[in-house]
Amino acid sequence: MSGAAAPVRRRRRFAAFGGLLAALVAALLRADASARTAFVLNDARGARFPLPDLVVPVAGTVRILAALILALAVLLAVRGAGRRDAAVVGVMGGLAVVALLTWAGAGTSISVVSLLRGTLFAAVPIAFGALAGVLCERSGVINIAIEGQFLAGAFTAAVAASILGSAWWGLLGGIAAGALVGLMLAGLTIRFAADQIVSGVVLIVFATGVTSFLTSQLLAGTPSWNAPVRFQAFALPGLSDVPLLGPIVFDQTVLVYLMLLAVAGVQFGLFRTRWGLRLRSVGEHPAAADTVGIPVLRTRYRAVMLGGVLAGVGGSWFTLEAASQFSKEMTGGRGFIALAAMLVGRYSPVGALGAGLLFGFADALATALQRLPVPIPSSLLRATPYVITIVVVAGLVGRLRVPAADGKPYVKA
Amino acid sequence: MRRSTRGGLAAVAATALLLSACGGDGADEAAVKACQITDTGGIDDKSFNETAWNGFLRAEEELGVEVKYLESTSEADYDPNIQAFLDEGCDIIITVGFLLGDATEAAAQANPDTKFAIVDYAYEAEYDNLLGMVFATEQAGFLAGYVSAAVTETGTVGTWGGINIPPVSAFMQGYLAGVNYHNDQKGTSVEVLGWDGADGVFIGSFEAQDLGNAATAEMLQNGADIVMPVAGPAGLGAGTAIQDFGSGSMVWVDTDGYISNPNFAGITLTSVEKKMDNAVFAAIQGVVDGTFAGGTYLGTVENGGVDISPFHDFEDAVPDDVKAELDDIRAGIIDGSISTTP
Repeated sequence: MSGAAAPVRRRRRFAAFGGLLAALVAALLRADASARTAFVLNDARGARFPLPDLVVPVAGTVRILAALILALAVLLAVRGAGRRDAAVVGVMGGLAVVALLTWAGAGTSISVVSLLRGTLFAAVPIAFGALAGVLCERSGVINIAIEGQFLAGAFTAAVAASILGSAWWGLLGGIAAGALVGLMLAGLTIRFAADQIVSGVVLIVFATGVTSFLTSQLLAGTPSWNAPVRFQAFALPGLSDVPLLGPIVFDQTVLVYLMLLAVAGVQFGLFRTRWGLRLRSVGEHPAAADTVGIPVLRTRYRAVMLGGVLAGVGGSWFTLEAASQFSKEMTGGRGFIALAAMLVGRYSPVGALGAGLLFGFADALATALQRLPVPIPSSLLRATPYVITIVVVAGLVGRLRVPAADGKPYVKA
Repeated sequence: MRRSTRGGLAAVAATALLLSACGGDGADEAAVKACQITDTGGIDDKSFNETAWNGFLRAEEELGVEVKYLESTSEADYDPNIQAFLDEGCDIIITVGFLLGDATEAAAQANPDTKFAIVDYAYEAEYDNLLGMVFATEQAGFLAGYVSAAVTETGTVGTWGGINIPPVSAFMQGYLAGVNYHNDQKGTSVEVLGWDGADGVFIGSFEAQDLGNAATAEMLQNGADIVMPVAGPAGLGAGTAIQDFGSGSMVWVDTDGYISNPNFAGITLTSVEKKMDNAVFAAIQGVVDGTFAGGTYLGTVENGGVDISPFHDFEDAVPDDVKAELDDIRAGIIDGSISTTP
């Protein structure tokens, strides 16, 4: 494959995708000339500075959006946008989603605040889980036990917040549980050099069994141990009154703010500090790192433990924000979605957040579309996150560069 | 080093297996042994499986039978769980859940000497040793829909389910029909979000409370002030969403939510009760008395198999004339003059 041909071919593939998307939007999303969709831009609980509803004619809007997508496709085909080719595809996808929503909402209204609040809400565990994965795998340890860390974190957070009467204690408990599972993973994979995939699966089964058992034996009989004090939404003064953006971003629980801080912190730490350089070096070439005096095993231990801490925060979300009690297997496979988000985000913290938001949006979109009178079966709509994963992984992410020593135990020669 | 690795893994795996198995206590040999197999969601789901189990507990207390249960954590557990109870010599095996229908039928055919009963499945064929227990939940859902339409302040109510299967959608169907009936009778125009008579909002899970929270928050933001989740424990997410939203109420299903979910008692308008405990108890009693017969049991408003719960904290919020109308509707449902399908 010559150096110049590959990007051009990729660009043409993107352009063809855009053309197909434009054709699909124009052909499938048909509506009467009189049909209108109202986009509600205010929080239903009231807004200090209310915005008027955005009412648009369905047929005209869909046509304009199809034309925009086509124009972008032509741009890609003719000259491309350089390094931003993939971003252009993202914009095309976004326009297609807006067209879909406009069409689906014909004759009724859609709360934009609800859609985007739902996105941020659902993104929290996925982003934390993906961050945990990034830290572990950048240091060379595959962590598929995120689901187990979520369950352990959710359970412990619920019990701690119930008994000690504070969501903060719950968060500490969740962190401790996530870190404990992380320690077990580290012990199995680093100390004993066990197969990392098998260790991860074992820990998921272990966490599922322990939490389910304790729920039946302990929590079922003492409901007061399963009634956690939860984090309440904390409206940032002033900012939360900003129309549209305020209720979406600045009226959230502390876990959402923590997610944004954690992403920024890990991104900075991994790529701008000595600690991050060392962590990445043991994940790329542990023998070389060892030669220059970096303690490979200790660095990996710490990375996996810190990953456990973050996954524990993600697990706490289930019982300190999303639900008012722990129930068996309540994490519902979100740990595996987090794993996919880590790949979609290409092992980068900011990418993890982006992928988390993408999956969160897919969930929120599925719910909104199910409610609207759309002639698509609900079960198919519920598969939206998975369809998006396939499209993004297959078409946009490109070739993943996996940390070179990922999954390989380091045994000193 | 190698050996200790394997030893450590084995220990962890063994603990996990040990902890995920569970069951009741042993008793003397003579007692009738009644065994429940749950669907996913767990025995203490405060809803579906738990209500059926309550029937077992009552049978244990009043009839002195020995009771046991096994939980299914996925559909792959159905057959092994049934086999485990066959091996244990259970006199009656009661499976709880529509999705267990095929596995139960196959087991009943293969083991004619063991009695089987299943909640939420009615078979075309008749078997002497297999009782299908189904519930006309649309009848009770109808009553809940009527009440919701009568007390909504926003003119919009909502409902969502776990998976779109008949035992779930029946609640939603009745709910929609009840709202529509109120609209017809009273000239109101209350709208139902989440179910249009054929399809609607389904979160794809009976465990994921967070998805239930999100689906409910979406409905509240889009104008609903009463939401009925039909999804076992995942439905608890609805209560969380309503508390966070700061207003609204919910209609619980299967069992009286005011009692089973004390932390949401204050926001529980009523519950669509599906008295599986009574049906399960009757089936076990049949085995004890030797009167067990296969076929189909249908719980209705008429035989008390389904109904709505008392309004508890909302007693004053529901006007007396609405309560009186509910009795008329019950009579209408029983004599067939009111149709509970929309």
